[in-house]
Amino acid sequence: MSKPTLLLIDDEERILRSLRMLFFSGYKVHMTTDPQEAIRILREERVHVIVSDQRMPLMQGSELLSLAREASPATMRILLTGYSDLDASIASVNEGEVFRYLMKPWDAEEVKKVVAEAAAIAEASFAVQMHTDISVDTASARSRVLIMDHDESTARTVHETLGDRCEIIWASDAQHAMEELAKQDVSVVVSDLMLGETNVGYILKTIKQLNPQTQCIVVTSFNDTSRLIELINQAQITRFLPKPVSKNLLARNLESMLERFHAVRNQPALQNRQAVAPISDPKEKIQAGNFLGMLGRLRARMGA
Amino acid sequence: MQQATQTGKEIFSLINTIDAISPDCSLEDVAAFFTHPQYSKLLSLPVVEEGRPVGMISRYRFMDIYLKRYARELHGKRPIRKFINGKPLLVELDQPLAVAARHVLANMQFPLTEDFIVTQGGRYLGVGFVMDLLHAMEQQMRANTMELEQANSQLKSSQLALVQSEKMASLGQMVAGIAHEINTPLGYVQNNVAIGQELFQQVQSMIAGYEALVDDLLDEQATEAQIAAQMQQIAERRADVNVQEMLGEMQGLMEDSLYGIAQISELVLNLKNFSRMDAAATEAVNLNECIESALNIGRTVLKDRVEVIKELGDIPKISCAPSQLNQVFLNLFTNAAQAMEGLGKLHIKTWSSESAVHISVADNGKGIPEEILTRIFDPFFTTKPVGEGTGLGLAITHQIIQKHGGEIHVDSRVGEGTCFHIKLPVVTSILMHQPAASEAAT
Ligand SMILES: Nc1ncnc2c1ncn2[C@@H]1O[C@H](COP(=O)(O)OP(=O)(O)OP(=O)(O)O)[C@@H](O)[C@H]1O
Ligand SMILES: [Mg+2]
Repeated sequence: MSKPTLLLIDDEERILRSLRMLFFSGYKVHMTTDPQEAIRILREERVHVIVSDQRMPLMQGSELLSLAREASPATMRILLTGYSDLDASIASVNEGEVFRYLMKPWDAEEVKKVVAEAAAIAEASFAVQMHTDISVDTASARSRVLIMDHDESTARTVHETLGDRCEIIWASDAQHAMEELAKQDVSVVVSDLMLGETNVGYILKTIKQLNPQTQCIVVTSFNDTSRLIELINQAQITRFLPKPVSKNLLARNLESMLERFHAVRNQPALQNRQAVAPISDPKEKIQAGNFLGMLGRLRARMGA
Repeated sequence: MQQATQTGKEIFSLINTIDAISPDCSLEDVAAFFTHPQYSKLLSLPVVEEGRPVGMISRYRFMDIYLKRYARELHGKRPIRKFINGKPLLVELDQPLAVAARHVLANMQFPLTEDFIVTQGGRYLGVGFVMDLLHAMEQQMRANTMELEQANSQLKSSQLALVQSEKMASLGQMVAGIAHEINTPLGYVQNNVAIGQELFQQVQSMIAGYEALVDDLLDEQATEAQIAAQMQQIAERRADVNVQEMLGEMQGLMEDSLYGIAQISELVLNLKNFSRMDAAATEAVNLNECIESALNIGRTVLKDRVEVIKELGDIPKISCAPSQLNQVFLNLFTNAAQAMEGLGKLHIKTWSSESAVHISVADNGKGIPEEILTRIFDPFFTTKPVGEGTGLGLAITHQIIQKHGGEIHVDSRVGEGTCFHIKLPVVTSILMHQPAASEAAT
């Protein structure tokens, strides 16, 4: 295999020079401070991984990455930023659909590992057509949508949007949600981050480890940037919608995430594009372990 | 339903259980009743037939009839029915207090001669005193206003909390901005060091290889084969990494790193100077330095968009709290930047007069309409959307300038720009005067 191609964008040239040195032996490295130039490169060449800064004078990184999505959907997108404000991280999920949200200063080994992983995933998904016509597929399989939110309006919107096209489950607490997840895989999860007293981040992270095809939409009024970044990396949530969420917005995203689910359902190479990083929080690690144990027992009992 | 029982209770507590009289009672009997202790507090007697109230007879009206000449003789035996007020004040038990009070107020007569009758489903329950009703009403209103006042003060305090949290949010934004400024150089410096470390190891093992070769060459016992193997090993390593090239690159990275470290030190120093919040501590300070410091801190706000023109004159040091004056300048700079749509200019000037130091901060932003010009120093006055402005910036600025015995004035034209002029007295400055213009003016 020839060297994978890496595209680096930052308004600080010293960052670019430093990163190139980290990668030049294993990759064909392009670098630029100009977002337009970056898009041009993406159009002209097959790029495996793009690593962009967030805060740049000409264009925000999340915006650049959403343009990159259009220009070259198969390219894996990574944000590398020293500036973690909430809006930027929300945009990086919803618009940039980033594979990882990394912070400056970074750990050289970690960044190398993440980029290598992304490059391999990109290589595998180049072979698969990204936008398959999935309308046929949608009809054939019944989707399951799990709602993990006390908010009745969320459940109502999901019901109104999907009607009886999907099986809709409304879990009122973490236990109930976990039981439903044990019974059968779900297509889309619509979840708040707090379910009663329980922080359900670990459930989302575990689901994604087990079923990379499941798409997670988070709707919440909880806004903690560092936790959101964790959810991007460790749960690969595909949407983050701050509450109150308008009905239309949720409905639109629900539709597109269902589509996404069907597009990746039988395509492991595409599912891998949402591979998650290991859980970092020690408490959540234990919770996830317990959840997995419970899942194993339940599935064994049900003979699934 | 909670509500109904609640209102039922209100009227219920007003009831005096009084035995009503029959319309067939004679006037003589009624006269006796009025002197009876059971009825002594009543203004009027309820008249009830088959459980339903049919009227009221008031003392006032009774006297009017009964004390007339020969009335006793003429009417004494006649039933009271003929003389009663057939439209008494009626209040249903489950009426809300306010409704009952309104009804009674609208229908009662002056002077007050009658009490009201309380009924339940139209049946007689007892008698209530108008004064009691009004008193209860007044208490309820007082309770309501207290509730309102409480709600209002709660609202106010939560508003204040909100404002404070917004202030925190903008502080948070600033901190995030500064974090970005630091994390960027920190990012490449750290990475360069990591790369250098790896390179260092490679160079080390390379040198070890060469040294082993030299040792072999000097060692008379070493065989040709041994030397060849050693040379082979070195050649492989050289093919693996081009150390020469890497070292050349590394040179550049080292320079970058030193630059980055200098940048970080500068930022940290600025932060330290800026946040010396020992507010009371006054120092002899050259305000040009405060301005530079505030400009540095505000860099994230001003960056790229605002061209800063400095005309910093030779001004004497003044005794002041530098951290507070930093705050003043930062507020003015931030406002100026926020008043600009797109690119703009910020003109900062300092000069001194006989006993004062002057600073003017002028922008070519959108300006301030005359009708709000007098309000901009008011706390919480802002024209910015929620989350962006708290309206405290200029209030704080004004307060600080006042505390320093100075003055601040504003001059603004819509569409042209705004100029703030600050004048601070030189107090202990004459002794400390040092020329600072050469280093401050850029
Ligand atoms: N340089 C300026 N140009 C135009 N308008 C200004 C300028 N400075 C202040 N103002 C007006 O005065 C108002 C009050 O300013 P002030 O600094 O007190 O509060 P703020 O900027 O709105 O909020 P905060 O400073 O708390 O972020 C502003 O909302 C703005 O309308
Ligand atoms: Mg302000």
